[in-house]
Amino acid sequence: MVDILFYVFSAFTLISALLMVVSPSAVNGAMCMIATFVGTAALFVLLEAYFLAILQVMVYAGAVMVLFLFIIMLLNVEEGEGGIGKEKWTVAASVVGFTILFVLIVSTFAGSGHLPELAPAIVVDNPEGAVDGGFPFSTSVKSFGYSLFSKYMLPFQVCGFLLLAGMVGVIVISKKSSEQLEAEAATAREKEIG
Amino acid sequence: MTIGLNTFLIVSGMLFAIGILGVILRKNTLVIYMSLELMLNACNLALVAFSRYNGTMDGNLFVFFIITVAAAEVAVGLAIVVALFRRRQTVMVDQLNALRG
Amino acid sequence: MTVTQSLLAALLTPLVSAAWICFFLRRKGVLASCVSVATAAAICVFSFMALQGSQGQTVAFAWDWLNLGNFNVRAGFLFDGNAATMLSMVVVVGFLIHLFSLGYMKGDKARARFFGGLSIFMFSMIGIVLADNLIMIYVFWELVGFSSYMLIGHYFETEEARAASKKAFIVNRIGDVGFLVGIVFAYWHFGTTDLAELEALVSVNKELISGSIAAFLMCGFIGKSAQFPLHIWLPDAMAGPTPVSALIHAATMVAAGIYFLIRIVFLFPVEVLDLLAYLGTAVALYAGLCAYGQNDIKKILAYSTLSQLGYMTAAFGLGQPGIAFFHLITHAFFKALLFLGAGSVIHGCHHEQDIFRMGGLLKRMPVTSITFFIGLLALCGIYGLSGFYSKDAILIAGEMNDQWVFILLTLGAFLTAGYMGRLFWVAFLGAPKSESALQAQESPFIMLLPLLLLAGLSIAGGFTDFWPEHLGGLIKENLDSLHHAQGYGHAHHVVLIAGSAAWVVGLVGSFFFYGAGAGEDRLERKFGPVYNFLKSKLWFDEIYDSYVAKVQQRLAGLLSFLDIFLIKGLFVCGSAAMIGLVGICARSLHVGSIHGYVYWFLAGLILFWVAAIGLF
Repeated sequence: MVDILFYVFSAFTLISALLMVVSPSAVNGAMCMIATFVGTAALFVLLEAYFLAILQVMVYAGAVMVLFLFIIMLLNVEEGEGGIGKEKWTVAASVVGFTILFVLIVSTFAGSGHLPELAPAIVVDNPEGAVDGGFPFSTSVKSFGYSLFSKYMLPFQVCGFLLLAGMVGVIVISKKSSEQLEAEAATAREKEIG
Repeated sequence: MTIGLNTFLIVSGMLFAIGILGVILRKNTLVIYMSLELMLNACNLALVAFSRYNGTMDGNLFVFFIITVAAAEVAVGLAIVVALFRRRQTVMVDQLNALRG
Repeated sequence: MTVTQSLLAALLTPLVSAAWICFFLRRKGVLASCVSVATAAAICVFSFMALQGSQGQTVAFAWDWLNLGNFNVRAGFLFDGNAATMLSMVVVVGFLIHLFSLGYMKGDKARARFFGGLSIFMFSMIGIVLADNLIMIYVFWELVGFSSYMLIGHYFETEEARAASKKAFIVNRIGDVGFLVGIVFAYWHFGTTDLAELEALVSVNKELISGSIAAFLMCGFIGKSAQFPLHIWLPDAMAGPTPVSALIHAATMVAAGIYFLIRIVFLFPVEVLDLLAYLGTAVALYAGLCAYGQNDIKKILAYSTLSQLGYMTAAFGLGQPGIAFFHLITHAFFKALLFLGAGSVIHGCHHEQDIFRMGGLLKRMPVTSITFFIGLLALCGIYGLSGFYSKDAILIAGEMNDQWVFILLTLGAFLTAGYMGRLFWVAFLGAPKSESALQAQESPFIMLLPLLLLAGLSIAGGFTDFWPEHLGGLIKENLDSLHHAQGYGHAHHVVLIAGSAAWVVGLVGSFFFYGAGAGEDRLERKFGPVYNFLKSKLWFDEIYDSYVAKVQQRLAGLLSFLDIFLIKGLFVCGSAAMIGLVGICARSLHVGSIHGYVYWFLAGLILFWVAAIGLF
């Protein structure tokens, strides 16, 4: 049952990703992208990473993609691009590159023995603390808490700082410069006079 | 579940390849940006699979951080795209060729 | 003033004068000539103050000039007996020639440049005389070369003067390369270039004497003193004004080569001395023969100078540096006299230089003629005149050391008397054979005064006993040792007879062969091939010309081709083109399209991946 679900969700994810890439409209692409993220979240569930699946849906499919859609619609850049690139060479090169990469991926992972076929590890239901400096895999959110506030304390703090920096950066970048404001004011005045 | 690690990695790799295809095929900066997010996501999938099959939480934690950073990055990146559009009135990369040698 | 200060003043006054003339007096010929002559007089005063002050003692003074690590060059004076003697000669003859130039150059437009050149020459020459180390000598050596170049090319409007000045400069450079190598070699070998230190080192350990160093240093002498095979520049240098020929190309600069040899005599091993003896003898004979093929009064004198330099070289080679020095001094007197006399004749005959177009000058220019004749007699070595004593000593030394040298030098003396007789009988006796000779008149007193004084010196210069007390120490010493050497009495008699026979036969023979005031060269008429052979000067110029044209020019062409093609074309432009090509390639990668970059990224990724999974 789980296996069938895996194939279904994998196919769903890959197909929607492909649709995103080839869809002529950016809005449609964003919609397909949301589907891809949801499919990935389903794969996360299959891997028993429930917390991350929820995060994926909330942050990616929710926040990030909404932001994307918002910007796409704000800039209204639909016209001009008729879907995929019209240049034959671009298409050909892309397809060739994709094929080579595809072959490489399959040949690397599909039973060539580069990586051992592992069975899923045991899931600890209720983690008590660190074992040998690490935390055993657990479905519990508690284990995230333990990790974030012990082993990954410094990255966690840095992440917080990064978010702050990102916020400030966005404000600085999207703020109009004083010259632009002056120019706009000048055109406004001209309109009034005219 | 009888699905092995390599199967997950193949799915992850395909997602990544599709992301690259998007980057090299499309001209719209926003779509390219989405493809980049797709590639990040492919990495996330691989990391979670590793974490699951290795029996440790570290991979999951990494994904947590990646999602955080990606959120911040998307915010800044889209702000840049908006600023770019304001200045050049386009987001098509074939018209943004100021670096031409 | 101390001795050092006097010497410094003597050295630097002409430099100041030259600079003054060069910067401020270029258009003021009269003032410039007065400044230069006054400078020459001042040098005399300073030099004699130094002589008085030193009282025959060696005065050495040096200060650091360059300090590079453990290599240091000192600049200083070594004012010993030889330097004092040479300095006295240079300043006296120099002053007299300056005085003569006042009259000779009166009508010249570029007088300021001429007198400035004389001043810079005096500076350089005094520098050579006083310098206490090889490097300093080399510096002044080059400076005299430069002033010689400048003064030979004084009449640069004429092609001849231009070519001659270039020839003199280039030929001297060839010798100077050897000189420079010798200096470097000497520094490497001895660790010093200081003359006094070198002498001390060599006197302690005779083993240190190296033939190759001596030979290299000798190259400088060969260039400057116009010895074989670099003698070709001296006759051509007569294109310069006659006072210059007298001062630079007869009395002082060319003799500086001999003086330099005397300064470093302790460095010479017997083999190199022998070489010098034969070299000098050969040049003496060769130049004497060449003089018969010349009609130009100055060129005859130039070959005579060459020949006399050969005598000095031979004397030096025979191990008698004092006698070489003696001949140098007396030669300076009578050859300067002869050149100035020739200058006076040329001046009187409105720049006529061909002796077969002169004639009858004895009546028209009596003072010049008589002083010229005195110089001639001194040169031929007539008993009682200065040339007799020095030449006699050389012949005696030859007789005692090497029979062949003696015979050839005696033959040279005969030739000398012959060509000088030819010059005098043809140019001064008989009837005038051209308009300019007919209108010849005696030169002004300012030109005659140096002639008279030099004639006096030519007569009395040989009596070393009457020389000032502190002069000519080496000469007196050497003469003394010669007089007391074994076999002197016999040699003296032989030389007295042979020498006298040489000049008597030479003078009388030339009188009867050419005839007084002859209008054409009898040798040319009667023995055409012989005359032409002598005139060709053994084809040295032609040989060098063809060497330059056939060998050197081709080599230079080849090198130039290599330079242009290989260095410039391949290395310089080639590397630039390579970089440019790389730049063009790298630039073409910058397509400005993000896709282009992604392709490369992708290609790199695939490559890396393929390598990582071990596909190759």
